[in-house]
Amino acid sequence: MSTPLTGTLLETKGLKKYFKVPGGWLHAVDGVDFKIETGKTLGVVGESGCGKTTLGRIMLKLVEPTDGQIFFDGKDITKLSKREMKSYRSDMQIIFQDPYSSLNPRMTVVDLIAEPMWVRKIFKTRAETVAKAKEFMSIVGLAKRLETAYPHELDGGRRQRIGIARALCLNPRFIVCDEPVSALDVSIQAQILNLLMDLQEEMKLTYFFITHDLSVVKHISDHIAVMYLGKCVEYSPAEELYKNPVHPYTKALLKAIPIPDISNRLQKEHIIKGELTSPVNPKPGCRFVARCEVSRDDCTKGDIPLVEVSPGHFVSCLHIGE
Amino acid sequence: MPRELMSIENLSVIYKTDLETVRAVNGVSITLEKGKTLGIVGETGAGKTTLALSLMRLLPKATGRITEGRVILQDQDLYKLSEIEMKSIRGNLVSMIFQDPMTSLNPIMKVGDQIAESLILHNDEKLTKEQISARVEETLTLVGIPPFRKNDYPHQFSGGMKQRVVIAIALACKPQLLIADEPTTALDVTIQAQVLSMMADLKEALDTAMIMITHDIGIVAQICDYVAVMYAGEIIEYGTIQDIFDHSREHHPYTVGLFGSIPDLKHKTRRLSPIDGLMPDPTMLPRGCAFSPRCPKCEPLCKDQKPPDRDNNGHRIRCYFVGGAQ
Repeated sequence: MSTPLTGTLLETKGLKKYFKVPGGWLHAVDGVDFKIETGKTLGVVGESGCGKTTLGRIMLKLVEPTDGQIFFDGKDITKLSKREMKSYRSDMQIIFQDPYSSLNPRMTVVDLIAEPMWVRKIFKTRAETVAKAKEFMSIVGLAKRLETAYPHELDGGRRQRIGIARALCLNPRFIVCDEPVSALDVSIQAQILNLLMDLQEEMKLTYFFITHDLSVVKHISDHIAVMYLGKCVEYSPAEELYKNPVHPYTKALLKAIPIPDISNRLQKEHIIKGELTSPVNPKPGCRFVARCEVSRDDCTKGDIPLVEVSPGHFVSCLHIGE
Repeated sequence: MPRELMSIENLSVIYKTDLETVRAVNGVSITLEKGKTLGIVGETGAGKTTLALSLMRLLPKATGRITEGRVILQDQDLYKLSEIEMKSIRGNLVSMIFQDPMTSLNPIMKVGDQIAESLILHNDEKLTKEQISARVEETLTLVGIPPFRKNDYPHQFSGGMKQRVVIAIALACKPQLLIADEPTTALDVTIQAQVLSMMADLKEALDTAMIMITHDIGIVAQICDYVAVMYAGEIIEYGTIQDIFDHSREHHPYTVGLFGSIPDLKHKTRRLSPIDGLMPDPTMLPRGCAFSPRCPKCEPLCKDQKPPDRDNNGHRIRCYFVGGAQ
């Protein structure tokens, strides 16, 4: 790798993805811009249906964007064909949400981890590939005795370690982590989060971390983007977002987390009403309008830009501070 | 006047197949007062759901067996009742809400009819059709659904709304006890907050006791009065919410690990301090303390003999080294 270890690794400009559905266009991702620095983690939070998984897939070009550009390492990869994309594939990997359905049940652990290297023909012989796979097993903390085990013999945490090893074995620089700990119990979740953070430090990885869990995202991220119905409504350094949330949706989201502390129990007055509106043919303007307490007529007039409210902290709201 | 509603005494449940015996619940004793909320926390496989099912006598018939103990609900021993008597209790005195609202509703039945179903089955007050219909509308309003939607089918509702319908069904007969098995796990946080606050309000209004089964300590902190921490089928720590969340007190090493695993929203910690290892295989539980293989305080004694409950004014900890009167 000849690239420097600082600077922007991945950048998106005006990224959009619309899906054709009966009754119109579903705006899954609707104009998202951000940059991810090398070696850092950008966390994306939002509720189901806000477009976070689609966004992660577009960045790897597993889904073709409707509009917008993706720059990886300074090069525009948006228009690359599948064949041209191949040379980038080993640099960009993904860890999937569900360790129960993302592994082939008929392959052993060591074969599962060797498979990506085998496909890319990293080594000439099978023996070398297997030896490397075993090395990755120990890196992600899988015991040697599990080499010949099948996924069904393992619990969720160990399966997710296989998923991580598969993503790591091609020596990537960028990993999309799509809810990698959501299917796991808290004590196992903590083990996996620690592992991901250790690996990032050792291998200088850059993460795009998708989750709906606000405490997990705070723990692992350097920057956080809050998404609502395909739009990024707030983007900020992680600490800043929790200290000083600005967008009404972010505020509501933070207040809705059940905190394991009995000094401030459920504060009913802060719970937002209503549910996600339909992402099919959305009305112009702010998507959060229907549930927002400070919304006015001008919120639905047109697109609302992300405005910098303090250094590095961007918010898309016309009525900040009301 | 004692307000005791239910007491579980030394309950043990196994799942027996030809190949192996799973010890899912091992010697659980708890009492529950009227109108109070008991939170049962633990990880996957700790036996939380099995405990709930065995209270309702809903264990899978082929494999599930209650080997020991009894459950007393309002002076009736539930395990001595006939199946017919039990049916008049389920949905009437005790109701249950299941985890997944997407699969617990009948997709080809109007939601209003599904709510009416339990009212018709348990029609002790001899309500007429019109009265039942009025009660359905009343119940829907209670859970925050406009009554005109009673003629809609489940697929016309969102996940949060479906869970409200499930809660409406459970509360239609105004039960004394509501068992909620991870009621908000499938929901988004903002919707979860709405449903939890609604459940807390309803509990207050109807004076219903609740057993809240969850893996989320945050939820417990928000709405429970008492907490039982389950591990490998045992209650390893039990106390009031103040006992459990007071970090200056002694806690079971597992409870400590559980708290250490949650990323803190208020303070920045670089590393989490999880518990090493995994829950023991319930077909081969350790002879002594079930947590001993993962416990940082483990001594030879722990591996050999089950520790007793050490009680400090109702705050019970099952460990040799922590808890008890000081």
